[in-house]
Amino acid sequence: MDVAVLGNEEFVIGFRLGGVKRTYVSHADAYERTILDLIADPTIGVLAIDSNDIDKLSPANRKKVMESIAPVVVMIGSKEGDLREKVKRAIGVDLYKT
Amino acid sequence: MPQREVKPTRSELLEIKKRIKLTKSGYKILKMKRDGLILEFFKILEQAKVVREKVTKNYETAMEKIAVADAVDGVIAVKSAAYALKTKPEIQLRSKNIMGLVVPEIEANSIRTPMDQRGYGVVGTSVYIDEAAKAFEDLVESVIEAAEIETTMKKLLDEIEKTKRRVNALEFKVIPELQEAEAFIRLRLEEMERENTFRLKRVKQKAKA
Repeated sequence: MDVAVLGNEEFVIGFRLGGVKRTYVSHADAYERTILDLIADPTIGVLAIDSNDIDKLSPANRKKVMESIAPVVVMIGSKEGDLREKVKRAIGVDLYKT
Repeated sequence: MPQREVKPTRSELLEIKKRIKLTKSGYKILKMKRDGLILEFFKILEQAKVVREKVTKNYETAMEKIAVADAVDGVIAVKSAAYALKTKPEIQLRSKNIMGLVVPEIEANSIRTPMDQRGYGVVGTSVYIDEAAKAFEDLVESVIEAAEIETTMKKLLDEIEKTKRRVNALEFKVIPELQEAEAFIRLRLEEMERENTFRLKRVKQKAKA
């Protein structure tokens, strides 16, 4: 299985330099379609995305992307994922609070 | 169980008693499973926090290094070095079992490529490109690590929610309803017994008269 990366030009070039061959440049209008195609691809094991791009998705698709397990979607960047919210819901306490 | 569906018979009472016993043992097991899953989750949570921090730190370093490489060597040189790479990280997915929950184990190989095998000329490129490449290799490694831990966490959280819902349903819905039905049958049987005694007394009195 492969590692794939979706993000802007600069983000993607870095990962190509790091050895990832399956890189996809995100265009604002086609971002939603591209990410949905990628999470439906069975040859991808891990998909890394820029956390700033996640707001481009509709709430339903955002949930679908964040909950995807094959491939696993890993958000990279300063923004926190939905994992914190999920922990809060399942355990009842915000365990990420320091 | 609505009371009108319950037949007030002795066999039904025995059946309900058996069901209450079974439900209570199921409830105890599910409660233990929930507690076990939460303990597992706490172990993973610490790792997840560390890995998340590592990803963020590696990302910042990598972006800084590539910005320097872009500034020193130019965007085209960085791009051409990036597209010259031949190897790619391969990952294998295996699975392991945590209390009946199958979670993935991701194993990655060939993330790091020696400088002479990167596909671009060592002389033609600067040290900044090599540093950026190394920083991104570190980032890819931490992303793969985060992928494993975060998937395990997502699956554990889903399972915890599911088990919690089942435990609550048994505790607050199924068991009370069964107990209510049991009490109803008991009362009804006692009532029937009393009616019968009274009837027998009346029959006896009539027979005497």
